Amino acid sequence: MQRATHTALYYWSPMIRQCLTCRVPVQLSSRAYSVVPPPRDSEEKEMLDRILRVDHAGEYGANRIYAGQMAVLGRSRTGPLIQEMWDQEKKHLEKFNEILAENRVRPTALLPLWNIAGFALGASSALLGKEGAMACTVAVEESISEHYNSQIRALMEKDPERYTELLQVIKEFRDDEMEHHDTGLEHDAETVPGYWLLKNAIQLGCKAAIYVSERV
Amino acid sequence: MAALLRGLRAGRALRGLGGVVAAPTATKPQCSGLRRGFQCAAARLQDEAKSDKPPSSSSTTYHEHYQAHSAKEDTAAASQEDSASDPAAEEASRPNTSYQDQGGEQGEEYETEEQLQARILTAALEFVPQHGWSMEAIAAGAETLGLSSASTGMFNNGAGDLVLHFIAQCNSQLTEILAEQHKQVQLGQAEPKKTADFLRDAVETRLRMYIPYIESWPQAMSILLLPHNIPDSLKHLSTLVDDIWYYAGDRSTDMNWYTKRAALTGIYNTTELVMVQDSSPDFQDTWNFLDNRIQDVVNMATTAKQVQSTGEAVVQGLMGAAVTLKNLTGMNQRR
Repeated sequence: MQRATHTALYYWSPMIRQCLTCRVPVQLSSRAYSVVPPPRDSEEKEMLDRILRVDHAGEYGANRIYAGQMAVLGRSRTGPLIQEMWDQEKKHLEKFNEILAENRVRPTALLPLWNIAGFALGASSALLGKEGAMACTVAVEESISEHYNSQIRALMEKDPERYTELLQVIKEFRDDEMEHHDTGLEHDAETVPGYWLLKNAIQLGCKAAIYVSERV
Repeated sequence: MAALLRGLRAGRALRGLGGVVAAPTATKPQCSGLRRGFQCAAARLQDEAKSDKPPSSSSTTYHEHYQAHSAKEDTAAASQEDSASDPAAEEASRPNTSYQDQGGEQGEEYETEEQLQARILTAALEFVPQHGWSMEAIAAGAETLGLSSASTGMFNNGAGDLVLHFIAQCNSQLTEILAEQHKQVQLGQAEPKKTADFLRDAVETRLRMYIPYIESWPQAMSILLLPHNIPDSLKHLSTLVDDIWYYAGDRSTDMNWYTKRAALTGIYNTTELVMVQDSSPDFQDTWNFLDNRIQDVVNMATTAKQVQSTGEAVVQGLMGAAVTLKNLTGMNQRR
């Protein structure tokens, strides 16, 4: 309990984390509360850990997918559009980094794998052209929205009042992802040849990634 | 209510005994007959190899205790029966005291089994220099609390329980100390330490808790390496390392989380090994070794950073060369 209040006051800038010989700077956070309530027992801690770990991995992966798409299509007409979506994902990732650090949640050990896989997926789908990139976006964002929805349902079933702030964060992110999904559809995602195959393959991959990231 | 609790406790004690009885019953009667025989030793090895059976040392210690208490025959069945009735008799005496405590307080003084086990194990630590990490120490500890030494039946894992309890206790003591220091820093009453110094102090504080038991610590370490104890000891080690890094200020959420903890685990384990065979005054050699290992890790991290920035500079140089080449060959023009 004491630890939780201390962590709430402790904001750690991600830039300084590398330095082993630096002094430890103490900065107070602007927030006085924590998004995640301190867990009451180890079961709740495990459940929250899983949720936060997989969400963090998801945002990290999405980040890398957009990076891959930008690497190929960055200088084309769709560049600014992809950049905008990428910026939103960066904000999501930052938020989850904060939450993970505050709540001492272990990040998934497969992050390097998601790094490479995400970038490869983004780049290869962008090589199919703008429509390919949009189709990839549609598939991934649909998976993520579905996943967030099931998390929201699970938390609501348990105790909506206890997890109000966390639910708010997840709902906000889910809405952003749905927006990306709709943007993808607007920009001719469905016209890519093999759309159905591509979409289902990507979604299967996402499901597998989610399953594994919850556990490892 | 008290009868229900009595029943539950007796049930649990019997289940613990049941584990002992469940061990190859075929060999047990033979074992009792040829107590120091080869077959007994083989049975003991077989028992200890099984991961979720209690070490048969506990059953032979039962024997010894029972022999010490009364001059009954040396048959396994008899001793197990009697051991079964002994804790039951002891159970019968214990709820009486809680009755008295209950009085009009509606059982608020009732202690859970876990709390009782913790009390016994803490009391048993005092006897470790004498008896080593074993059931004898636990029995002696139980006796100082006024309980029958047969209450060791509660501990299925025997010496393993004692060692794990001690380690958990040391870890929570360390966490308290670190939290206190953290509070001091936040209140501005103390200067924040450099990470390397912080790690050194934390590991030294933690290892110093072993000093009173350092003679028997190799035995404890080997107990922790038994297959059925490994998951628990790894769990304690990982919480220890996580706590130390957390209070050192680590808030990383990428692979650094893993590399830092792996490095500290390596430092801690090697320093512990050096400590058990250190004979210098106040373990000065150990602390020097610790200093050097931490310095190694710091150097490695610095080198890694340097390699990374050099790599980045090289990549930038290559990109620049490629662009220059493209310009020279005219490939960059849009036609």
